Amino acid sequence: MTQLTADASARSVPRFRSYRLRDSRASGVALVLVLLGLWEASARLGIVQSSNWPPFSTVMTTLFASIADGELLPVVLSTLWRLARGYAIGCALGIGAGFLIGLYRPVRLALLPTIDLLRPIPIPAIIPPLIFLMGLGDTLRLFAIAFATFFPVALNTIAGVQAVEPVYHQVARTFGVPRAAALRRVVFPAALPFILAGLRTSLGIAFVVTVIAEMIVGQEGIGYYLITMEFAMRAAEMYGGIILVTCIAYLLNRGFLAWEARAIRWARLAETMQGDRA
Amino acid sequence: MSIATDARSAIAARAAVSGSRLTVDGIGKSFQGPGGSAVEAIGTVSLDVAPGEFLAIVGPSGCGKSTLLQVIAGLMLPSTGRVRLGERDVTGEPAHMVYLFQQYSKSLLPWMTVANNVMFAFRHRMKLSQAASLARCRDYLAMVGLADVAAHYPWQLSGGMQQRVAIARALAAEPQVLLMDEPFSSVDALTRLDLHSLILDLWTQKRFTAVLVTHDVDEAIFLADRVAVLTQRPATISEVIETRLPRPRHSIETRESPAFLALRHRLLDYLLTRGGGRSHARSA
Repeated sequence: MTQLTADASARSVPRFRSYRLRDSRASGVALVLVLLGLWEASARLGIVQSSNWPPFSTVMTTLFASIADGELLPVVLSTLWRLARGYAIGCALGIGAGFLIGLYRPVRLALLPTIDLLRPIPIPAIIPPLIFLMGLGDTLRLFAIAFATFFPVALNTIAGVQAVEPVYHQVARTFGVPRAAALRRVVFPAALPFILAGLRTSLGIAFVVTVIAEMIVGQEGIGYYLITMEFAMRAAEMYGGIILVTCIAYLLNRGFLAWEARAIRWARLAETMQGDRA
Repeated sequence: MSIATDARSAIAARAAVSGSRLTVDGIGKSFQGPGGSAVEAIGTVSLDVAPGEFLAIVGPSGCGKSTLLQVIAGLMLPSTGRVRLGERDVTGEPAHMVYLFQQYSKSLLPWMTVANNVMFAFRHRMKLSQAASLARCRDYLAMVGLADVAAHYPWQLSGGMQQRVAIARALAAEPQVLLMDEPFSSVDALTRLDLHSLILDLWTQKRFTAVLVTHDVDEAIFLADRVAVLTQRPATISEVIETRLPRPRHSIETRESPAFLALRHRLLDYLLTRGGGRSHARSA
């Protein structure tokens, strides 16, 4: 009996340790640090011999200096403000179109072929022809961002609206809820998990398109900053800009995920709790 | 005989109090089947339900019971015939009828709290202040014994509690007619007996007309004044039986009474052997 207990505890200790190592996030963070270390070493030790390959530490010092002297802040704000406007327009149109297409068959038949045809167009490919139509101003950039945002939002909204439990519609009808109120209080919340998935997908796409549009058109924003630094051979500033863009995209995505988890907490919990019961 | 008279006078007394007569006049319903052929779900059904009466409709599964109830509720238009509530034809969802759905897990809205689910039933038809709405909501939740779960979400409650919330929500709309689509079929057996007593209490208190669709013969006899038996698809009414059991009914004693057992025997025999047309369907 004593023997058994001793055996079990002896075995459980190392197993517990290896379990923790495998499951912790430390390994993922460690890889990032190793890669940054390789970057630093490759530049410092001259493994990569190029004046355009500054060490990571120099890049970060330059980045913080650019932020501190107020050079980068207006650039970043300009990009974020552009992203916000283009994204908002694309989301509003996407949700609106998604509802109309998802709810009404004639609209679906009329619009879906056009959407299927426009959807696969790569955004950078339409920017040159759009320059003829819209000039080099903000209109073009906002259009490109909204255009890219529209499709994932619209398609997810359509799927969400069509996936609404038929009984929900009947519940609204049996209590005489007017159509508009039923859309707002039943169809919209029921479709929200799908809609939010579309909004999150298109947020990433919209950010990419914002930076690309700034590289091609105009003289503002982080995209323009990156191109300028490249032309000026200021590699440290350029890499600093890329790191900053990466951090912003990462934070936008994490922020969105946190907000999404709260907004549709009911959907996740309802599924697990009803599932347990069944 | 005296029991029958009691039942009749009870129905008459109720009739004096509550609203309009529900008339189902030669309803038929066909669906477009595969290959364009019409599939007949309901043959021809006529029913007359007195105000305040409790009518049960039993039939084999898949016979079109739910379809019939949805047509009566105005959630679906009939192919032939018409439904009337009082003097008015039912063409959409009438203000005085409420449909109680079979699956509470699908009929309660999971993004709303219990209180908001209940208020959803009446806030669009009755213009009440927020305070009045909340008070009304509390009253109806208390009526089903759930005053303390108003702030919960439906999925936090047990199945029986969820169906109680659904009942409170249906009654909060103050229907003249409550149409129930097998509302007790997805809860466990004991909870079901509990809900039977609850719905009878509420029916006695609120004096609405009740139409219950079920495949459970015991449930139909225990609850109803009359039991209509449907045949296999296309559904028609093959028999209407008056239960004539005294009220108030008791969960255990009523179910053990000779009159109850005789009715049960008669209905089961009818459904199983003559099968509401089942043997006819088989030989065809």
